[in-house]
Amino acid sequence: MTAVLEVRGAEKSFPGVKALDGVDFVLRAGEIHALLGENGAGKSTLIKILTGIHEPDRGEVRVFGQAVHFANARAAIEAGISAVHQERNLIPRMSVAENIMLENLPQRLGFVDYAEVNRQALLWLERLGLEVAPERAVRTLSVAQMQLVEIAKALVLEAKILLMDEPTASITPHETDVLFGLLRQLRDQGAAIVFVSHKLEEVFALCDTVTVLRDGRNACHAVPLAEIDRAAVVKFMIGREERVAKLGTKPFDATATALRLEDVATSFGHAGVSLELRRGEILGLYGLVGAGRSELAKALLGVGHVTGGRVEVAGKEASIPDVTTALHRYRIGYISEDRKAEGLILIHDVASNIGVTIWRRLAGMLGWLAEGRVRRAVAPLVDKLQVRTPSLRQRVGNLSGGNQQKVSVAKWLAAEVDILIVDEPTVGIDIKTKTDLHELIWQLAKDGKAILLISSDMPEMVALADRILVMGGFRVLGEVLNDHDYGRMSRAIMAHIHEAEAA
Amino acid sequence: MTDRLRALALADWFGLLVVVLVAGALLAFLQPAFLSTYNIYVLLLSFSLWVLVALAQMVIIAIGQMNLSVGAIGGLVAITFAGTMEVWGLPIPLAVLLGLVLAALCGLFNGVVTHVSGISAFIITLATLSIFKGINIGITEAQPFYAIPDAVKAFGAARLGGVPYMLVVPALAIVGVWLLFNRMVLGRQILAVGANRHAAELSGIRVGRVVVIAHVLSAVLAATAGMLAVARLQLGQPTIGDDWLILSFAAPVIGGAILAGGHVSVIGTCLGVVIVTLINNALVLLGIDPFFVQLLLGALILAAVMLNRWRERRREALA
Amino acid sequence: MGLALLIVVLVAIFATVNPGFASPFNLFSLTRVMGIDMVIGFSMMVVLVTGGLNLAVGSIGVAAVMVGGWAMQVQGVPVLPAMAMAVAFGAFLGWINGQLTVRIGVHSFIVTLATMSIFFGAMIVLTKAESFNALPGAFVDLGRLRYWGFVSGMLPAALIVGVGLWLFFNRTSLGREILAAGANLEAARLSGIRVERTIVVAHAMSGGLAALAGLMLAARNGAALPSMAGHIGMSWLLPAFLAPVLGGTLLTGGVISVVGTALGAAMVTIITNGLLQLQVGEFWVQMFLGLILLAAVLLDRLRGVMAERRRQVR
Repeated sequence: MTAVLEVRGAEKSFPGVKALDGVDFVLRAGEIHALLGENGAGKSTLIKILTGIHEPDRGEVRVFGQAVHFANARAAIEAGISAVHQERNLIPRMSVAENIMLENLPQRLGFVDYAEVNRQALLWLERLGLEVAPERAVRTLSVAQMQLVEIAKALVLEAKILLMDEPTASITPHETDVLFGLLRQLRDQGAAIVFVSHKLEEVFALCDTVTVLRDGRNACHAVPLAEIDRAAVVKFMIGREERVAKLGTKPFDATATALRLEDVATSFGHAGVSLELRRGEILGLYGLVGAGRSELAKALLGVGHVTGGRVEVAGKEASIPDVTTALHRYRIGYISEDRKAEGLILIHDVASNIGVTIWRRLAGMLGWLAEGRVRRAVAPLVDKLQVRTPSLRQRVGNLSGGNQQKVSVAKWLAAEVDILIVDEPTVGIDIKTKTDLHELIWQLAKDGKAILLISSDMPEMVALADRILVMGGFRVLGEVLNDHDYGRMSRAIMAHIHEAEAA
Repeated sequence: MTDRLRALALADWFGLLVVVLVAGALLAFLQPAFLSTYNIYVLLLSFSLWVLVALAQMVIIAIGQMNLSVGAIGGLVAITFAGTMEVWGLPIPLAVLLGLVLAALCGLFNGVVTHVSGISAFIITLATLSIFKGINIGITEAQPFYAIPDAVKAFGAARLGGVPYMLVVPALAIVGVWLLFNRMVLGRQILAVGANRHAAELSGIRVGRVVVIAHVLSAVLAATAGMLAVARLQLGQPTIGDDWLILSFAAPVIGGAILAGGHVSVIGTCLGVVIVTLINNALVLLGIDPFFVQLLLGALILAAVMLNRWRERRREALA
Repeated sequence: MGLALLIVVLVAIFATVNPGFASPFNLFSLTRVMGIDMVIGFSMMVVLVTGGLNLAVGSIGVAAVMVGGWAMQVQGVPVLPAMAMAVAFGAFLGWINGQLTVRIGVHSFIVTLATMSIFFGAMIVLTKAESFNALPGAFVDLGRLRYWGFVSGMLPAALIVGVGLWLFFNRTSLGREILAAGANLEAARLSGIRVERTIVVAHAMSGGLAALAGLMLAARNGAALPSMAGHIGMSWLLPAFLAPVLGGTLLTGGVISVVGTALGAAMVTIITNGLLQLQVGEFWVQMFLGLILLAAVLLDRLRGVMAERRRQVR
């Protein structure tokens, strides 16, 4: 089989990070090639180079044997590469069909031929088993339907090279099966497909070959999946055996309830959510994208609101209209999954980012805020968490991802919260800092804080949580008591998700 | 058929149409002079000019930006148009062509600088507003050009009953812009860029090109309005365009345009202009202080954005 | 700081080319306009910091001054209370802007575009476009205040306001919260800041400062004129944006430079004054100011790109 796509020695740096450091990648016609790696390993950067969003600093990309330099996304499409991107890329007010055909709207006499647009789009909707009228506006669809439209949009180009970055993140197992059938069919017709996924079961079910990236380099390169097993793949990904970090024992007081939800409904659409979180405990919330975990956190904080049921903080009924109340009266803090958009103020310095939660407390008469007081409150935390920064006046945007995350943790330590909601704490963070952060979270719980851990990273969940609640469709699907055995735990969690879908 | 009716009722502009009809009926009832041929002529004359101004802004709102220099471009082209005919004795078609080319250059400048620098169009067009207006005042020293060719004056004054000849120009513009946004690839690309720039880029749309074209189109529409203003006023007044800013935003926003981009309504914008025209006319007919227009225009913008937000939230709640 | 150096160079050039530039009379009128332009710049700056803007600065300034003028001339209110009334009224109009922005949940651009029209329209309707030109002597004298023979009292007044603003944004919790919310609204909200309040406060401050600038202008003119900020207050917009933008305040919010805004206003005034002295013709000044604004934002952008590139190379 011939190589349709070849990457040799690709390098790409961003401020503070070397995302790719000499990566090779070869894709052949008629194969489905898994591209794996942990968050921050460089998969997304590689995909972005192949779709013309980034240009590599060094290295060569060949498509059908020709060296190419994509200046923009259009160039990649014209070279015969189409992609399903991780983020949502639809125009909400346009119809399903127009979104699918947007790359190449059929025209007649200079005008868009909408009959033809709908006709062509319908073919792909049918092949994907998506029963949605092509005229329907995309913004009225569910998350899963949008994802399928996104996939149809990539397929309609009938490109010889198809890149799929986490295409199954928000669709159900049934929809996944239909998609896989279609991908196999395309492969058998000679298409070359790159498949990126976090779910190893899917990779083994679908793919022929695997390339694993780790820290911006090849951990392995185009290995036939028939020749290796799951354990080997995981070893490539994390650089060691799949072993759950041992964090020691952490007893907690089973009677000291910090947070209790009883049959809670929210403005985001949660229904019947009940949970109990004790002091010193780490309670995990596991679920697929769109399961409603971050939204639950936000509703508790007062960004959305609780519309039914009962919320108790430290044994007393609580009503939380806004974040200020959550923080100052109920001592609840939230470390957002989206550091850049919701967690940190990148253009401000370290001292401001950590101090923001306590300015009110430190201020004197007329809100007077002495610089020294802020520094004295903040500096010990920077030391304690070992934030690597030249000074407290350093802009947070100039720190590495791991140090940024430490700053956002420090902010809540400064605020002395009792309940800390941690949302995907290690996305995009290198392995070393990841371990640090895990130990930090664990230590915080050991010191008596109640921690609600939201994560899609199964090993992280299994390593840290005491109990794991599985969420889906804005409900709690089930609970798993964590015994820190990865195999058993992941099966138990997936069982809850499948069960919910079958029902 | 009932589906058709429902879709019609849900369209952005349906409510506006009702408002226009009711307001028209009310005015006709209160003041019979409202329906006189001459008054209708006056109404259509204002409409002709303002609808071009509104469309000029609407095109930029569609890409999620704003163009403060619409009035300055209109004014600069107006005095160029009048000045070249008076001072250089340029024939009318050439003067029109020159005006359009000048506008296209202004738009090109706005678009290219905005796109290449990545600075918000607000600040760029605030700067070019001063530059274009500054050139205008620098050249004219705030004095009008009076010697406009008779043919232009005649065109500005000609009417068929209540219908000014001038109406032909905006009518063509309305049809053209409607086709652009509803039936042409370029227009759909403009909307895609306005709705989600990143997604548009990934769909292979040349975002830079689309942004620049939108700015050129906006400038050309503003220029057309500027030249019509010369014909209507019968002189090349340097202050043409000074008072277009509020109106240019009011009409598209009343018409349901989303300022963040990606959604505009040509029919809604036209009805927005009709409403503004009617208010203006009503104040004159009913002998109310004309300065109320300013106040009402502002209040209308506020009411319209509130209504648009409310509709948006309700739709989200239903979904 | 580059801006300060540029100002020194400009002053040197203008003073050598045209001796009239350094005359006490010219310096007096220069510093008078400078003080007013600084306060107009501050008025925009405090909303730019929230990532918003206030197109209604001119309308608010005029409307507040007309209230002040009416109080002084018609009601016979003493000068200081009348000025306080005007500033309070300006702050109230700004508060309305802030409330509308927060409540409707749209960008302050469209809200203040609407209110600039509303405030100005209401002002004209109520005053019947007539001015108050028999203001008390004590008020008009403020415009004649002169130190060392060539510095108008307007400049020190503006500088005092500037010091107050600097302390507010750097040394008070509310000021810091406004900056934080302006830099990243969601992050600030999730850190427990009442972000809506920060926006309302910033708009109210902007209104109060606009009123103050209006009063200063009225004292200079010796009258409260409905036309003193042009059609719907448009003629304040350029100086209002020029000063903060030249001074390095980000339009995207979260970064403020009080000193920069003061220097930016100073530079704009000096250039305007210098050009007029050079007989360039008052008609061309506006074009130059537009060019300066364009050059300033483009240079700033270029500097940002270069800095980014340097960091990548490292």
